[in-house]
Amino acid sequence: MRTNIIKITDISKPGQLTEIDLQELAPLPPPYDDYRNLPGFKKLPKATMENLSDSPDGVLATGLSRPASKEEEERLINLFISGLKKLFTKENNWTFLQPLILSMEHCAKCQTCNEECPIYEESGHNEVYRPTYRAEILRRLYFKYVKPTNPLMRKFMQGDIEVNWELISKLFELSYRCTLCRRCAMSCPIGVDNGLITHELRKIFSSEMGLAPKELHEKGTVQQLIVGSSTGMNPEVVKDNMEFIDEDISERVGFKVETKWDVEGAEVLLIHNAGEILAWPDNPAAFAILLDAAGITWTMSSELVGYDGVNYGLFYDDVQLARIAMKHLEIAKKLKVKKIVMGECGHESKALGVIADRIFEGAVPRETAMTLIEDIVFNRGIKFDPSKNDFPVTLHDPCNITRAMGVIEPQRRVLRYIAPKFREMTPHGVNNYCCGGGSGFAIMSGHNFLDWRMHISGRRKFRQILEAFKDEPPGKEVPKYVCAPCSNCKGQIRDLIDFYGAKEKSGLYYGGLVELVVNAMVDIKDKFIDFDMM
Amino acid sequence: MPVFEYGDVKINVDEDGFMENPEEWNEKVALALASTEDVYELTDEHWHVINYLRDYYQKYGIAPMIRKLCKETGFSLKKIYELFPSGPAKGACKVAGLAKPTGCV
Repeated sequence: MRTNIIKITDISKPGQLTEIDLQELAPLPPPYDDYRNLPGFKKLPKATMENLSDSPDGVLATGLSRPASKEEEERLINLFISGLKKLFTKENNWTFLQPLILSMEHCAKCQTCNEECPIYEESGHNEVYRPTYRAEILRRLYFKYVKPTNPLMRKFMQGDIEVNWELISKLFELSYRCTLCRRCAMSCPIGVDNGLITHELRKIFSSEMGLAPKELHEKGTVQQLIVGSSTGMNPEVVKDNMEFIDEDISERVGFKVETKWDVEGAEVLLIHNAGEILAWPDNPAAFAILLDAAGITWTMSSELVGYDGVNYGLFYDDVQLARIAMKHLEIAKKLKVKKIVMGECGHESKALGVIADRIFEGAVPRETAMTLIEDIVFNRGIKFDPSKNDFPVTLHDPCNITRAMGVIEPQRRVLRYIAPKFREMTPHGVNNYCCGGGSGFAIMSGHNFLDWRMHISGRRKFRQILEAFKDEPPGKEVPKYVCAPCSNCKGQIRDLIDFYGAKEKSGLYYGGLVELVVNAMVDIKDKFIDFDMM
Repeated sequence: MPVFEYGDVKINVDEDGFMENPEEWNEKVALALASTEDVYELTDEHWHVINYLRDYYQKYGIAPMIRKLCKETGFSLKKIYELFPSGPAKGACKVAGLAKPTGCV
């Protein structure tokens, strides 16, 4: 147990607040229980730490360059304060102003939320990861700059806080130590949302100060709007890749599978997270097989942005979110489709399915893949032989689909039917734990951030996966399938399996939901899921 | 920005060791980058993979799908890992001087 006390006001002091010590982390079950046999935690070179952000914990998710002069520092401070003030105006915060103000003004400081945070718990209760730590900093800033109270009273009531480079750089980093899973919000008796607070902090940095991780902004939303996809695929490349997938899969299943492009008036416009096409091609292939078998007319779009459902704006910037969501809507309207179906991607589902309602007028109906797959499995006359899925399966719940949207039962109903060895994790559904790669972390691995998301933010999920299979032979002889219907979660789970060597040690494999469904189809003669290829 | 040095090769790389300026790539750079994979000699098989990756990258501006790489080179994924121990993306693409893959991949 940690003994050093970190105060809220320490955020404004120079230097690190804490250090990651692998011995202090909650131990994992065997054979991962001895930290000395696990990969270490990379310490950043001294030069990096001196040139870049004041890190709160010796970790850098992104790293800001230190201001070169006093004037530059002043400029950053002024921008931060103006961004803070704008965050609390209706014109600038048309998405989340009300819940933000409620969260600022009504926290009773009961700390109930703390024990709900997997990062705080798994870190050995490291104070800087406590959900209320960064929230309390914003609260003090709010009562100092946005809704100023009498300074003497404030010191007594809310506590003071000083804005300087140390605070700005440490707070920027800290806004990327929470996966926005919002378990804390669900446990709060009042409804205070610390996940939202973290999200709103990121907005100040991005919208007003132009500071965001390059994976999310420059290589993410900006690249997507210019090139067409965060992966860098332009329309020509995506069509070429899908053609390759079609040919490859047709060869494997023995009948023709063909992706449809730009079909006007189709029932379904299918928008995948484009990462699926490059990294997990069996997923889009399985969708094509299943939609055709169900007799649904469907199409993909080859227009810029129309073939990539990614919307990283959800994680850090409302304006970028709106730009991408509007493109998706515009394309669906142009194609006159009946509805948009979001592929197996959590943040796409939430961005386009829920948050975009704040900006859409006359929107096209949208559906998550979970409910569509449920409908296809139970209502479209396709024959299944569940015994083809003869291996143990567990389900990872993507936070955005379950806790944020309430889509819980469809995917389980499907699994209970087509995967006889399906078992739940504990807890699951709305109480699930994040994979540890949420809010964009799965694609961030600069400096020593990969070590952080493997050892700390992903630790609870890795533990849960191992526990879900504890009644199975522990070794690699029995392949165990973690079903994760979300590209971001899959990326994180892949990294966890690689990092801990869990394919070799525990026989862990991972994939989506639709692949399991197609694997159980009677019409698919050979194996669709082939562990030798995974 | 980190600088990677090996012999008389000196290049800017990102935090993951990928080249910041892929246009500076040449065969000597490839050999230098291969050393990060504990590979100190590039065989014809290595070059077969590197050349395919570079051709594709020059044509399309991104790395090919892994499955496409295997099919077009005729090498299994296992074989690619033998040649480049960190695998196709973190190993082979890095040595071939491609930029780090982006998006949810």
